[in-house]
Amino acid sequence: MKRTLLKASVLGMMLAGVLGWDQAYGQSDPTGKKQVTSTYAITNATVFANASSSGSKATVLIKDGVIKAIGSNISLPAEAQEIKGDSLFIYPGFIDGASRAGITRPEDPKRPDNFVSSNPPDEIAGITPWRNALDQFSIKSSQVDDLRKAGFTLAQILPDGGMIAGKSAIVVLGDESSTNLVKENSGLAASLQGSRGMYPGTAVGVMAKFRDVYKNTELTQERIAKFTSSTGISRPEMTPTYMGMSDVVDGQVPVVFTVGNDLEVRRAISLQEELGFNLVLTGLEEYDAVIDLIKSSGTKVLIKLEIPDDKAIKAQKEDVNEDVKAQYEKVKEAYDLAISQAGKLEKAGVPFAFTTVGAQASDISKAITKMMEAGLSKEGAIAALTSNAASILGIERIAGTLDNGKMANMVITTGPIFEEDSQIKHVVVDGKIFDYEISKKKNGKDDGKAVDPSGNWTYTSETPAGSSGGNFTIEKSDSDLSGEITYDDPQGGGETSSPLKEIEVSGSNLSFSFGVNAGGMSLDVKVSGEINGDTMSGNMTITDFGSYSITANRTPSLIAKK
Amino acid sequence: MNKLNYFLTALLGLSMQFAFAQTPKGSVLIKNATVLTVTNGTLENTDVLVEDGVIKRIAQDISAPNGVETIDATGKYVMPGIIDAHSHVALDVVNEATNPIVAEVRMKDVVNPYEIGIYRALAGGVTISHAMHGSANVIGGQNATLKHRWGSTDPADIIMQDAPRTIKFALGENPTRVHGRGNGIQPRSRMGVEAILRNGFSEALQYKKAWETYESSKDERGSTAVAPKYNERLQTLVDILDGKIIIHCHSYRADEIYMLINVARDFGITKLVFQHTNEGFKVAPEIAEYTMGASVFADWWAYKFEVYYSTAFNAAILQKNGALTSINSDSAELIRHLYHEAGKTQRYGGLTDDEALAMITINPAKQLGIDDKVGSLEEGKHADIAIFEGHPLSTYAVPQMTFVDGVKYFDIKEDPDDQRQRISATETVEPIYLGHEDHRCMQDTEHLFETANALFNTEK
Repeated sequence: MKRTLLKASVLGMMLAGVLGWDQAYGQSDPTGKKQVTSTYAITNATVFANASSSGSKATVLIKDGVIKAIGSNISLPAEAQEIKGDSLFIYPGFIDGASRAGITRPEDPKRPDNFVSSNPPDEIAGITPWRNALDQFSIKSSQVDDLRKAGFTLAQILPDGGMIAGKSAIVVLGDESSTNLVKENSGLAASLQGSRGMYPGTAVGVMAKFRDVYKNTELTQERIAKFTSSTGISRPEMTPTYMGMSDVVDGQVPVVFTVGNDLEVRRAISLQEELGFNLVLTGLEEYDAVIDLIKSSGTKVLIKLEIPDDKAIKAQKEDVNEDVKAQYEKVKEAYDLAISQAGKLEKAGVPFAFTTVGAQASDISKAITKMMEAGLSKEGAIAALTSNAASILGIERIAGTLDNGKMANMVITTGPIFEEDSQIKHVVVDGKIFDYEISKKKNGKDDGKAVDPSGNWTYTSETPAGSSGGNFTIEKSDSDLSGEITYDDPQGGGETSSPLKEIEVSGSNLSFSFGVNAGGMSLDVKVSGEINGDTMSGNMTITDFGSYSITANRTPSLIAKK
Repeated sequence: MNKLNYFLTALLGLSMQFAFAQTPKGSVLIKNATVLTVTNGTLENTDVLVEDGVIKRIAQDISAPNGVETIDATGKYVMPGIIDAHSHVALDVVNEATNPIVAEVRMKDVVNPYEIGIYRALAGGVTISHAMHGSANVIGGQNATLKHRWGSTDPADIIMQDAPRTIKFALGENPTRVHGRGNGIQPRSRMGVEAILRNGFSEALQYKKAWETYESSKDERGSTAVAPKYNERLQTLVDILDGKIIIHCHSYRADEIYMLINVARDFGITKLVFQHTNEGFKVAPEIAEYTMGASVFADWWAYKFEVYYSTAFNAAILQKNGALTSINSDSAELIRHLYHEAGKTQRYGGLTDDEALAMITINPAKQLGIDDKVGSLEEGKHADIAIFEGHPLSTYAVPQMTFVDGVKYFDIKEDPDDQRQRISATETVEPIYLGHEDHRCMQDTEHLFETANALFNTEK
C-alpha cells in the first residue's frame, strides 16, 4: 500500500512538471517545444541496418515516423532537418520483449464480506485475464525515460498482477502526447506466482488452477457455440475470466509466461504441451540446463537483461584455507556459467530476445558487455535487442531492422555500439528525436590514477518533484572509503542520513549506494558520477522508480593540498 | 550440468539428449556378498549380476560378461535399495494449504532434482522415496514416487513414471488447525474431517454421473446437452473411487483411523494406506482386514497432543496382526538411517531380520504399488541395490554404495565434500565444521536460565 502511494506521489509530481507537452496550438506555441518538422535526415553516418551488418556510410531519411530512404545519393527535401552524422553510428532501435516500465500495479479490489480464502473470487486470487497493460501504463514514467535512454524504442508492456495478470501490449516509447500503441492484446501475461493466503497459494496450486481455467474456457466456448447455433440450450456462464482467456485458447494470442530458472521453464512447457497454447517464456535467469529443451520445443524465450551481481566474488578474501577456497571457486564457476548462458543459447541457434522486467536500465549496457565477454557475439547481442525481439513479438514487418518503410526507430551512438567509450547521443522513436548529453570524458582517463573523492560535498539532484539536495562526506583511511549522506526524510520531519555503501572509485568515476527508509519500505539508491576537480555530475538511481541527475560540489578544504 | 553428470555421461556412453529420453541404466557384477534378498532369505558368498538396469542373476560364481564392471563385496552385505514411503525430499512446494481438498494439485509438477536431500538419502541406501504433499488438507495433493537418480536435471528423470498414482489425505489436528482454527471453515473437528470426506466423495459421484449423462446423450439427435464444468479436484476423487489412486492418509488416533476405514468401506475404496498411525496398534486387526496397511515411525511421538498415546512396539504389533507395515522417515535427516529405524523393531517386538528389513523394502514397495518392480533382490527386478559394511540392522552398519537401475549414485570412497548441483553466483556458503567446540555440555540450555535472569537481573 505504502509503496503504491509513494509511486503515485512520484508519478503525480512528474505529471505536474511535464503536462502540456507537444500539444497542437491554434496559433503559436507558447512552450516552444512543438517540432518544426517531422522530416529528418541523418547524413553521412555509419549505418548498421541489421544485426549482421558491418556498417556502411549512408544517409537516413525519415518522415512522419517512417524510414523513407537509406543510401548515399538521396536528395533531401527542403523540409528535412539535417543531423550531421559524420561521426555517428546508427543501429535499429532496441526492442524490449517484455517490460514493466511505466506500469503501476492496480490496487487490489476490496475483499467481499463473504470472502473465503479457500475459494476466492478470480480477481482477488490474481486471475485477471481481462485486465489490460495499457490501463496500467504511463508513457510519462521515468522508467520509460530510462529505458529509452538505454536505446529502447519499442516494448511489450506486461500488466502487473498475479498468476494470470492480463493482456500485454506493444508500445513505442515515444511522444508523451501519444497513446504510442502499436499492438493491443499481444499476449497474456502469466506466472507461477501464487496468491498470498488464499487458493491457489503456491506454484503447485497455480499449475492446477491454470489447467482448470484453461479447460473450462474451452468448455465455455463449446457451450457458447451451441447456444448461438441451436435452441433449447441452457445459457452458458460467460465470466470475465473465460472471455479474457478465449483468445489464448483459440491460439490467437500467446501466453507470456514469466519463469526464472530451468525448473520453471520445464513447468511452463509442460503446461503448454498438455494444453496446447502458444508460449513465450520471459524472465529466464538460470536456463543452462534447458537450452536443448528450448531448442527442441521451439519455445520463444526472453532472457532477463541482467547478470548476477559480483559482490560475493569481490568479497572473497585471500588468506583462507583450502575448503573455503573450494567454495569460492564454486561461486566463481556459478557466476561464469550465469554470464555464459546467452552465448550458449546463441550457439545452439535459439533466436532469443531480452526482457528488462526486474533489470535496472542503467545496468543494461554492463550486462550486455559481460555477456559478450562470456561468449555472446556482437551480432547475437544486437539481434536479441532488435530483429529477434521483433519476430518474437510478431512485428518484424515494421521493426527490428533499418529498411525503407519500417518505423523510424533508431539508436544513434558516438562510436561502435557496446564499445567502452561509445555513448548514445540520440534515440529516434517513431520519428521523434530524443537527444542525450554526451559526457565529455577527460583525456587520459585510463592513466590508472583514481581520483580522490574524499571531502565534504554539497549535492543537488533534479527529480520531477523539483530540486532536492543535501551533503555527503567521504573519508579515506589507507585505501578504505567510508562516508555518510544527508537527504530530505521521505517520511517528513526534515533531514536524515544514511551511511554510504559500496563506495568505489574507478578513474574519475565515483559510485556509491545508500539505503533510504521510506514508510517501512527500504529503497536502495545508487549514485554514480564523474568527478572533475571539485565538481561531480552523474545519476542517482532509485530501485523501481527511475534515475535522476545529480550534481555535487566539494567544499574547499582549509588544508593545503600536497 | 554438473561433474557427476559428465561423469555418468562418459561412463555410460550416453549423450545428454539420450538421457532426456531415457533414464540411465547400468550393468555391474557384485561378487561374494552376503545377499539379503528379503523375499528369498539370506544367501552367503553370492553374486548379483545386473545388466542394463535389471537384476539378471543371483547365484554363486557368476563370471562377468564382457565390459561389465565387477565389485568385490567380500564380507559386505547387499540388500534391496531402501524405500521410504513418506518423504518430502526434492519438492519445491509441499503444501497447497489453502483449501480442505486440493486433490487436483500434483507434486510431480514441483519435483526438484537438484535437492541435496536426494544424495543424502542415497548415502543412507535409500533409492526410492514417496514425495508426498503435506498434511494441511483433509484431501491433499497427488504424490510423486521418486527414483533417486542424482545428477539428473530433468524432474521427469527422477520420477518413477511407471509407479501408480497416490494421493495424500490427513486427519486430526493438522487439517482442523489450518482450516478450522486458522480460517474459520470446516473442518474444525474430527467430525468435520469426516464430513469433508463424505461430502467430497458424494460430490464426486454426482460429478461422475453428470459427465456420464452428458457423454451418453450429447450425440443423440437434437441433444441439448452441454458439457458440465470441468473440475480436476472432483475428477481425482472419482479416480480414487474407481480404484485408480492409492490413498496415503496421515493419521494418529485409533478413532480417526477407524473412521476412515468406515468411510472407505462405505464408498467401496480398498486402496488405502495409513501414514504415521501412532495408535494403529489399537486397531491393527481392522487395518489388516480392510486396508493396505500402515507406514509408521519406529519411535517418534509426543510432539503434539494427538501423538501422546504411542509405543515403539507399534510396528511389531501391526505386523504380527497381519497388517502390511512399513517404517518411514517423513524427514530429510531420518531418511539417511532408515536401516536403524527398521532395526528398532527387533528391540521392540523381536522381529526377524527379514521381517525388519521388509519394513523398509518390500512392504513400502507394496504400499506404493511397485512391489512387482522393486523392494527385493529377485531376478527380473530393477537393480536398486544398497551395499553395506556390517549388517544393515546393526548399529555399526555403514552404507558403502547405492545403485539405482544398476547405476552407482553413491560410493563412500568417492564422496567429495561438496555435492551441491545448484550454486548461487551471488552468495558464498562457508564450510561447516563439526566438533570444533571445546566443550558443549551447556550448549542450547541458555533458555533454562532466562527466568532466573528476569528475576534477579535488574539491568535493562
